[in-house]
Amino acid sequence: MNRLLAYMLFLIVAISAVAQVSVSGTVVDKDSNEPLTGASVIVKGADGKIKKYTTSKGDGGFAMSLPSVSGCRLEVSMMSFAKKTIPLDSVSFPLTVQLEPGTTLLKEVTVKADRIREQGDTITYNVGSFAQQQDRSIGDVLKRMPGINVEQSGKIQYQGEDINKFYIEGSDLLGGKYGIATNGISHEDVGAVEVMENHQPMQVLSGISFSDKAAINLKLKNKAKATWSFHGDAGGGYSWQPDGAIWDGELFAMAVMPNFQNITTFKTNNIGEDLLAQATDFLASRRGTDLSRYVGLSLPGVPNLSRKRTLFNRSALVSTNALWKLGRGEFKTQIDYSFSRITAEAANVTTYFLNDGNRVVTEDRNGVDRTHSLSGKFIYELNQKTAFINNTLKTNIAWDDVRLGVTGSLPNDQTASLPDYYVGNDFKIIKRFNGKHLVTFISKNEWESLPQTLSVSMNDGLIRQHVKDHAFYTHESAAYAFSVKGVTISLEGGVKGYFRSLNTELPDMPEEIPGETTNVLNTNYLTIYATPKFEYWVKRVNFTLNAPVSFAHYTFDKALATRSEVYFSPSLSMNWKPNNRFSMSVSGSTGRSPMDLNMIQPGYVMTNYRSFRRGVDDFYNSSSQRVSGRLSYRHTRRGIFANAMVLQSWSHRPYTLAQQLYGDYVVYSYTDAKSDGQMLMASGNIGKTLDFMRGSANITGSFSRNESHLISENTNVNSVGTSWSVGAKINGAPLRWFSFDYRFQWASSRMSMNGINASWLGNMENDLLLNIMPHKKWEWHISGEHYRNELTDDQFKNVLLLDTKLIYKLNRRLELSASLSNIFNQRTYNYTTYNQLTSFESQRWLRGRELLISISLRK
Amino acid sequence: MCIVTIAAMAQNKAEIIVSYECTNPSKLGKPVMSKMSLLASPTEAKYFNDLSLWVDSLKSTPEGKAQYMEILKKACMTVEPDGSTSWNLTKGPTKKTYNYVFTNLANESLIHYGKFGEDLGYYIEPLAEMQWTMVEDSTANVLGYECLMAECDYHGRHWKAWFTPEIPMSFGPWKLHGLPGLILKAEANGGFSFLATGLEHTDRIMTPMYMQGDYSKVDRKEALKNAEYFVNNQESIMNAQGQNVKIYSSDDEGNKIETPKYDGLKHSIEPDYKMK
Repeated sequence: MNRLLAYMLFLIVAISAVAQVSVSGTVVDKDSNEPLTGASVIVKGADGKIKKYTTSKGDGGFAMSLPSVSGCRLEVSMMSFAKKTIPLDSVSFPLTVQLEPGTTLLKEVTVKADRIREQGDTITYNVGSFAQQQDRSIGDVLKRMPGINVEQSGKIQYQGEDINKFYIEGSDLLGGKYGIATNGISHEDVGAVEVMENHQPMQVLSGISFSDKAAINLKLKNKAKATWSFHGDAGGGYSWQPDGAIWDGELFAMAVMPNFQNITTFKTNNIGEDLLAQATDFLASRRGTDLSRYVGLSLPGVPNLSRKRTLFNRSALVSTNALWKLGRGEFKTQIDYSFSRITAEAANVTTYFLNDGNRVVTEDRNGVDRTHSLSGKFIYELNQKTAFINNTLKTNIAWDDVRLGVTGSLPNDQTASLPDYYVGNDFKIIKRFNGKHLVTFISKNEWESLPQTLSVSMNDGLIRQHVKDHAFYTHESAAYAFSVKGVTISLEGGVKGYFRSLNTELPDMPEEIPGETTNVLNTNYLTIYATPKFEYWVKRVNFTLNAPVSFAHYTFDKALATRSEVYFSPSLSMNWKPNNRFSMSVSGSTGRSPMDLNMIQPGYVMTNYRSFRRGVDDFYNSSSQRVSGRLSYRHTRRGIFANAMVLQSWSHRPYTLAQQLYGDYVVYSYTDAKSDGQMLMASGNIGKTLDFMRGSANITGSFSRNESHLISENTNVNSVGTSWSVGAKINGAPLRWFSFDYRFQWASSRMSMNGINASWLGNMENDLLLNIMPHKKWEWHISGEHYRNELTDDQFKNVLLLDTKLIYKLNRRLELSASLSNIFNQRTYNYTTYNQLTSFESQRWLRGRELLISISLRK
Repeated sequence: MCIVTIAAMAQNKAEIIVSYECTNPSKLGKPVMSKMSLLASPTEAKYFNDLSLWVDSLKSTPEGKAQYMEILKKACMTVEPDGSTSWNLTKGPTKKTYNYVFTNLANESLIHYGKFGEDLGYYIEPLAEMQWTMVEDSTANVLGYECLMAECDYHGRHWKAWFTPEIPMSFGPWKLHGLPGLILKAEANGGFSFLATGLEHTDRIMTPMYMQGDYSKVDRKEALKNAEYFVNNQESIMNAQGQNVKIYSSDDEGNKIETPKYDGLKHSIEPDYKMK
């Protein structure tokens, strides 16, 4: 019985076993015949539904059993291989499934780290979550990060304050020329932007000296590290105005290695992009030589339109920057050469409605400005916790040649040659002892020569003026500081020496203007100074008191009497940071200071064909006071950043600017009347991330009021300029195939003279860019700018400029694009203003329609 | 030889990275959200928390450890005017989750690293422990991927998972695996869920567990039991060790409240250790 039962049981098992089909086999790589582990093996029924599945094991093998496989198919797939489908009706097992390499396309959705993270004083912005399709460089993305503001010039601010350092992977390669990086580095190479609040660049001062500035650090993605990355663009096309060929090219190479960094870039274009601005040093302090040009010859501009629309240029820029880490220090070189040739034209017609017929005055100005600038910086820096050494040798040679021709009622031709030669060396050493004592020694030496030549040919006569202006500045100082229980006391003492000689000569003067025409002058000084400084930290509050005292001795080489002066100008500031979100500071200063020595100039200098300038013939001191307050708030998790600032200052000068007309000439000079001025500025900014559409928004507002005195035609004029502006920006990608950028700006200003108000004049600008991605290889931009500029009371000038661009992405490395800007070919910006007795008609030129075909390559 | 193999395997590059948002019930009542990442190649996967990985990778070398302390100090330490210091660790980058899961198809097993009470531990689990049943016509769309659904009873909870055959990788969040496609969404009774929020190609290297030596082998159920006991008796355990502490929780208004008890049946993702 038992045996029978066992037999029957066996039978049942055998029958059921017979009814099962065993689907088995091996998955191999077709190329190498190696077994593939981890392939997904699925049996699908005739209806396409999954009947059974498994994964290939370590030897590539798989095995499944199914009741039946009729009508079924086997699907084998694996990442990086093409999917293989095998009908199971007429195959025998075990199968060998050969997979061929292929690509598995992912619908990528950015892996979101939090968009903004906060760790102590460091705020980290995730670049991928702020970048939009239309962005190219990291600078484009920085503009979208709430809390960070990129000005038109390229200067970066964080919470309303200029940043004090710009790092790439923790190294300060470019110094203040970070425009090279923000305009050059592709945002795809940057993983994160870190903002380090209260950044003290000198480690030796950390914990001793407070900094209210922030620094930015670019964290590169791994693929951009320890290698050279390149990208290049080349574009060519045709422009309807100026009529002819246009080009735009860029080569950018970057290496970020553990011990070496390099960024080299070459750019050139004639499509209205000013490259000079991209190599500007935003962190440069004012030169100690303190020279400024007397000749002022400038090309006519177009009011209230974006520069890119109105700049007729040919520009080139070469910049190479390298950094080597040598032991514990680093050596850096920065060499730049830039060239630009800018042309500008303006035509004005003024009609005087007179009883005996109209009188028409025409003026057509036409100019060319050629500038070359070559600069080099060589820096050695050791930045450690106990020692800081920095030696910077810097040199800059610049040539600026301007030609400006005027035809019409007062025809003339002006040419100016304005070269500038500068060399300087800064040396600084700080040493920290026992953690609490600091000794500093600084030596700065600078030399500059600023010769200026202006030639004016008018009425068949030629006036040629030469100005020679040289200065040498030296500054030696030593400082000692110690810190105990939150109080840092430091004393800096030093000597400053300044030697300057000015030589100007105006051979011919219009007879109407009385006065001297030569200046032979030395303005020298020797200053001994001491600056005691107290810093006190208590509970999250920092107090800083600075009390510089100096004794200065001025000599003027017999031209003026020798002077000895004592100056005291204390300042106090307080910074309070009750928590990670809020910070607040107030500061105030008062003091007496010497005048700008460039203003001592008893003889006339011609600044351009119509204006002459004379300075003061004695030495004066001025005094000023200022108070300011600042508030900032951030909530990184919610992506909110806000700041507000207010500043009021007063100045008191014993001399006043006077303006006098002699026939067609304007003469500026100074008289020894008291002149008080004051200024009020306030601004605010709120930024917020808009996570639902991977975007951000920003609102800004500002107000300023500036009161000054001058004497015009022997009458005292109290002039008050008031202006305010509001702006808003929003960007986002609400749909997978669509993103947009919108900007709005409204500004209004008014001038009042002696209580008589001119009317408020407002300008409005709207910029919109739409980006459509119908396919992942195609991108289409449509953008437009609309300006509504108020010319006179309630008279507006509207300008609408439309652009479009089509981009085809061949692959990750190669991109082709075609752009058409100013589609309607608006060539001129004309306007006419009227008052009771005159009409003023002005014509300026815009860049016309432009077609540009470009190719971009990246490695 | 074995070590060599592990090292060689460890150099494997991932092909994709997925970010998941994870929701758990907590003993304080409100669900807790956390962010986790999955690096996966066709043969292996690593599930971790970004911040924890960063902290562990730093702390695995002496220089890194010093650097990490430096970072913590900057972020969390306040020097009072009298020279004394106070620390607030919530302000700094500190580890909040200890879980790592390494799944390896060639070994047909996964390794789970975690913290159980006060002890760091790991256990190995065969992949075969999770067996799914397909549920027809219950599709979902996650991140633009059409996902199919499957169900499974695993360690005391009933799981539903949505996977996409378009990404032929048999991995998923946490220990979930074994479906013919990447798991992008999963839910279990009791308020446990995972949802993919991002998916990208990557060439990141799947580094092996940092500081493996600090983890000792444990029995999963025993370890979970011990962990529950530790959480519910932390105060007396610490006091028994000679400290004198009082542990309390605070509610949203900051009022002190009695710490609610941890109950594995409600709060553990694997409550099977409490079941008969």
